[in-house]
Amino acid sequence: MIRPHDSIIVQTLGRFLIPVVQIFGLHVLFFGQYGPGGGFVGGVILGMGMILSVLIFGHDNTRSQIAKKVLHADGVGMLIFAGVGGLCMIGGGEFLNYANLEIPGLETASRRSLGIVLTQIGVAVDVAVTAVSIVFSLSAEEIIEDSING
Amino acid sequence: MSHQLPAILFLLPLFAAISMPVVCLKHRHWSLPISVAILAAMVLVSILNLYNVIHHGEVRYVFSGWTAPLGIEWVADGLASVIMVLLSALGLLGVVFAGPTSPKALGGRLAHYYTLILLLISALTGIVFSGDLFNLFVFLEVAAISSYALVGVAGGRALFAAFRYLILGTLGASFYLLGVSYLYAVTGTLNMADLAERLPFLLNSRAVVGGLLFIFIGLGIKMALVPFHAWMPEAYTHAPDSISPILAPLLTKVVLLAWVRIVFWVLNVSIAIYDIPILLLVAVLGTLAAVIGASLALAQRNIKMMFAYGGISHIGIILIGIGQGNQTGFVGGVFYLLNDAVMQAALFYIAGFAFFQYGIRTIDDLGRVGKKAPWLTGSLVVVALGMIGLPPTGGFFGKWYIILGALEAGDYISVAAVVLSTLLTLAYFVKLFESIFRQTSTQPDVQFGKIPLSFKLTLGVTSTAIIILGLFSAPIVQLLLNHALPPGL
Repeated sequence: MIRPHDSIIVQTLGRFLIPVVQIFGLHVLFFGQYGPGGGFVGGVILGMGMILSVLIFGHDNTRSQIAKKVLHADGVGMLIFAGVGGLCMIGGGEFLNYANLEIPGLETASRRSLGIVLTQIGVAVDVAVTAVSIVFSLSAEEIIEDSING
Repeated sequence: MSHQLPAILFLLPLFAAISMPVVCLKHRHWSLPISVAILAAMVLVSILNLYNVIHHGEVRYVFSGWTAPLGIEWVADGLASVIMVLLSALGLLGVVFAGPTSPKALGGRLAHYYTLILLLISALTGIVFSGDLFNLFVFLEVAAISSYALVGVAGGRALFAAFRYLILGTLGASFYLLGVSYLYAVTGTLNMADLAERLPFLLNSRAVVGGLLFIFIGLGIKMALVPFHAWMPEAYTHAPDSISPILAPLLTKVVLLAWVRIVFWVLNVSIAIYDIPILLLVAVLGTLAAVIGASLALAQRNIKMMFAYGGISHIGIILIGIGQGNQTGFVGGVFYLLNDAVMQAALFYIAGFAFFQYGIRTIDDLGRVGKKAPWLTGSLVVVALGMIGLPPTGGFFGKWYIILGALEAGDYISVAAVVLSTLLTLAYFVKLFESIFRQTSTQPDVQFGKIPLSFKLTLGVTSTAIIILGLFSAPIVQLLLNHALPPGL
């Protein structure tokens, strides 16, 4: 159980910072093809945004609901990754050979670009979910006690 | 299409594992049939893959289309494909057995339990096929992490065993990674085929020798080679009864396969490091493991503990065969590996079956059921014949080729070690049977429940497989000789 932080400075700054962090995370994720960044880093930053909102506004605040919902997306990122790879295999290439990504109406170059973006989104989702779930499992005493008592 | 088979083999259990928590969110009892279906499909694909490799030569699969030294390469050669058939078949049987025996403590986490099992099997597939030292490390870690969780899943004493396994397993993985980084620093490549071309000129480099030493120690810990075996009996004994028959035959054997790949495919067979032939090292370690493991098994009262130590001694026998440096010994070692995996699986099915059906944990308990348990006694007799190595079981032919190989190499100490370990194996099985047939029961006859189909199926299939492997040993050995030999042997 994480209670809201009681300092007004932290609360106000959090309200400003969290959206900026989220947008920066998305920027790093989508511009990873052209500059430094990519799925892992983007995912970490997005996850940090959610963790920050949990730490500042507490477990039960409406602002933390996204972080709680995200926990159910465990494995979805891997499924996106696997789906893109599978589409490439259906197109006749190797796993993750984006040139064979089976989406009609696209040239090879845009197929590669799209394939990389999609896999990076998959990676980012998984990294963010993992980061958030680590924080929750460290904080939730009742869940851990349940698992010990069987 | 056929060149995609190795990737499909890996992706089937991986996809199933990651979608399991979502698919089985509402209906957690679907997880067992889904796992069985996926692993049955895997058995089919692995047989297709073996057929393809035998008829069209080895498959080198490059992920995302980047070719070998740059990209990530998978090598599906004869050896890997044969082991793959074994792995998927034992995985399927293990999941069939895991159905009724899964720990009661799991409750709502049943789907996650099958996720871990499938993840373990996909990681083992990765170790078998990987043609790249670093990817080997990644799959070693995935396999290890899922098995830590699976060992500790029942809680209680198992948590202690799992923690000990975690510490030693992480140590092993770190040693391996350190060794790989040394080799990478010297050669600038991680691809096994590429390393095999560069390493022979670099054997005077201390970094290479140190790196190889670290790799051997790391993998030695992972495969429970004798000085490093401390984690293994505890982990296999206290793991849930449904998990030990999946871990015991697969985990250590697959790591041993990775070791064989590094020794024979990356390094050359005739390589000597500071005048010590590398194969001599393998054979000496095998000799030690064969004798010490069997002697320790003789001292155990707990059935699972005894079988786990038996597994350690059999790793040693396989290494003796492989370390002889001739074709007979190598093929004997690989053939014995196949047999030993089936026998280890059968032993742990028997141990799990004995506990669930009759409440037996130690040798002394065995006297309580005695002759009233035909399935237990019958399958135990067949497995004992295989473990001791009597014809017509596969164990006999495996040991036969290993001894022939050792005689060919003039290594009489190894021959003596195999014979001694066989005698010790005989001794601990005599101990078991003595307890079964000496009726100590003074209680009135207890009626035991009906035996579930999955127990009959797993015990029946493994016992039959032990005999079939013996009866068809000639074609299997011929297949290994034709397709699974390392270059230059």
